[in-house]
Amino acid sequence: MKDKNNESVPLADLPVGAEATIIKILPNMRGRKKFADVGIMAGADLILEAKSLFGGLLRVRVMETSMAFHARDAKNILTKVRKNEKAI
Amino acid sequence: MKKRFKAVLAGNPNCGKTSIFNALTGARQHVGNYSGVTVESKSGFFEIGDISVEIVDLPGIYSLSSGSPEEKIAFAELTKKGVDLIINVVDSSIPRRNLYLTTQLAELGIPMVLAFNMSDDAKKKGLSFDMPKLEKYFGAPIVQTIGRTGSGIEELASKIAKTLKLQTRSARPMPAYGTDTDDAIRAVSEAVEKYGGKNISHIPVRFFAIKLLENDSCVAAIPELNQAKPEALNQMRHLREKHAIDPESYMADRRYAMIAGACAGAVSASRERRREISDKIDAVMANKFFGFPLFLIIIYLTFFFTFTCAQPFMDWIEAAFGFMSDSVKAAWDENTLPFWRSLLTDGIIGGVGGVIVFLPNILFLFFAIAILEDSGYMARAAFIMDGIMRKFGLQGRSFVPLVLGFGCNVPAIMATRCIESERDRTVTIMVLPLMSCGARLPIYALVIPAFFAAEYQAAMMWIIYIIGVAVALLAAKIMRNTLFKGDGEIYLMELPPYRIPTVRSLLLHMWDRGKIYLHKAGTIILATSVLLFIANTYPQKTVFSKDYDAIAEQAMKTGKEKGEPEEKINGIIAALENEKSSEMLEYTASGRIGKFLEPMFSPIGFDWKLTTASIGALAAKEVFVSQLGILYAEGETDENSDTLRERLAKNYTPAQGFCIMLFSLMSIPCLATLAVMKRELNSWKLMLVEALALFAVAYAATAAVYQTCLLFGIGTKLIP
Repeated sequence: MKDKNNESVPLADLPVGAEATIIKILPNMRGRKKFADVGIMAGADLILEAKSLFGGLLRVRVMETSMAFHARDAKNILTKVRKNEKAI
Repeated sequence: MKKRFKAVLAGNPNCGKTSIFNALTGARQHVGNYSGVTVESKSGFFEIGDISVEIVDLPGIYSLSSGSPEEKIAFAELTKKGVDLIINVVDSSIPRRNLYLTTQLAELGIPMVLAFNMSDDAKKKGLSFDMPKLEKYFGAPIVQTIGRTGSGIEELASKIAKTLKLQTRSARPMPAYGTDTDDAIRAVSEAVEKYGGKNISHIPVRFFAIKLLENDSCVAAIPELNQAKPEALNQMRHLREKHAIDPESYMADRRYAMIAGACAGAVSASRERRREISDKIDAVMANKFFGFPLFLIIIYLTFFFTFTCAQPFMDWIEAAFGFMSDSVKAAWDENTLPFWRSLLTDGIIGGVGGVIVFLPNILFLFFAIAILEDSGYMARAAFIMDGIMRKFGLQGRSFVPLVLGFGCNVPAIMATRCIESERDRTVTIMVLPLMSCGARLPIYALVIPAFFAAEYQAAMMWIIYIIGVAVALLAAKIMRNTLFKGDGEIYLMELPPYRIPTVRSLLLHMWDRGKIYLHKAGTIILATSVLLFIANTYPQKTVFSKDYDAIAEQAMKTGKEKGEPEEKINGIIAALENEKSSEMLEYTASGRIGKFLEPMFSPIGFDWKLTTASIGALAAKEVFVSQLGILYAEGETDENSDTLRERLAKNYTPAQGFCIMLFSLMSIPCLATLAVMKRELNSWKLMLVEALALFAVAYAATAAVYQTCLLFGIGTKLIP
């Protein structure tokens, strides 16, 4: 799911190892404040470190910390890719 | 008398807060639960000079909001009257993230001391701090500490004492959010000032104004602030229109901008070493291919450590209680106060001993769990298993307690403390008794060889265990779709870098759990052991169906006259004694209850003997075997008793044998499990509902199986 106009990619769709910047948090995302409290908000740089083996969770490094959260929440976080890597 | 103060310890998860707490308080700690929730509360105290400081260790939080039970508790504790000091522990190797909470704590206007913890890691990363600048910015003294080694703790204690003695609650420079935001804060502050009541007067109005602008539900629920809300909504609308961002995210963004400003000249960084090492470990431990097998090996090692390594210690405790009971019996004549003698030896020493015997399990398990937690592996394990567990309404962290439940449900329930989400933890606790614990094994070991041919025995054992797991997962799924319905809390878990745990922290963690367990053994278990002893002993039968003593005497006389071997004579006498015991048990409260309940249990294939044995199994599951042994006049028996197996095979069908195992697996767990369940769920109601629900499920499932067997004639014939 890629927005062709501004090249935004939902965080959940990034490949493992990709470095990106959050450009928007969709208004329908639940727990926006909780994510914002740990630095997951527009303008933040991140690296998608891993996807869990049996699905569901993503491991994202943001603000020098690895955070795990659900892919369904990550679908509401739009990013712009800075660098693509095959894997970490 | 020393002057007493109250300090609150606050910080992010994984910032080393517990190691600071342990270093300050030593073993002078109290662990409990916050009222109404399963979040752990911890407090301790220390003395320095002429003051005594009580420290409340708050749960790890990222923000002073109301997004999770932990944050709600922290908010409630910090805004209570009577907090003299905040000790804010900051992981100084990631200052930006940790100082986010500091900015909010500073707004409370309570004197504060900052512990810049993990300063060794910060140094390795090449971070250096301009302390005077940061102290001025946050209006609080800062001490660099290494909680794990105790470095800086003395200085921290002395700064705490100094700040407490000064007790200045004002004159702190307030962080600025930027012109627009500061104007909005000022406007809402004026409204709060105008309408706010006495109950919130100990906290600066500015704090409430900022929280109202953040749309914080805890603050919005304070009745005194109702009249200030329209102004807050007005200002939120204004900010949203101007900056095109929702107020919750906007305020967080401003805070991080503020911290960036504060850190700009005060913090400098170069490289990131600890993360590199941690990443290398993760390349193996959380690897796509090796991660899962390694996880299974680690769980197996935890299991082995908990149950196998603890076994010799359990044997010693068992022997010590046996010795204690025998010594009392030897020193106390059986005709002097027989009731009290029996109550003390069989009821109290036997009952409490039966529970304390699990103490090594508890200590070893929590030592292992502390290693997994403190090293940072537990978060990885949860990450690996989450996908599977979610399918059943549980989460990754539920897996470890569920596996440990195969050993013993008691430590497994206590191990659920690693699950942060209250809802997930409650569901995990409630399905745990369905994991077939080690105490049920003697029942299976007795029943399976009695009814099933050797080639089917292993499969039968496997089926029973699988049924337990399947029912537990199904029950979890049903509960999450009904009683505990909803999206649940937002799942946001930090995976901290790997660290080497300190022995001191591991031992303190282990001792905390041991203390809780011992306290339980000395209270609720003691009381229930006495009750079960009375039910299994009284009323005592004085008139029997035959004169056993006379018959025994006659048998001995006749045997000797006929020159029969002594072994044979003793066998006859033992059989008579067992028959007498069986008659006595039938007469007791347990026996009568069993007979009374027999009609109710007959649809599941149970007669009064099986029913009575099931009541005895409430004390401990394996008691089922010994109770049945007494009822079948076999005296004290164990699972290897062939005679009891033969008796079972003569009296029951294979269908009934299977139903014995099924009912034992799913029905009410032992009292120790129920007691620990009550404690961990913090609710008598939930514990009783759980016990009734398990009984209902066990009864319905067993009845369905037994009636189906009867209908189709499966296993309904006695084994010839």
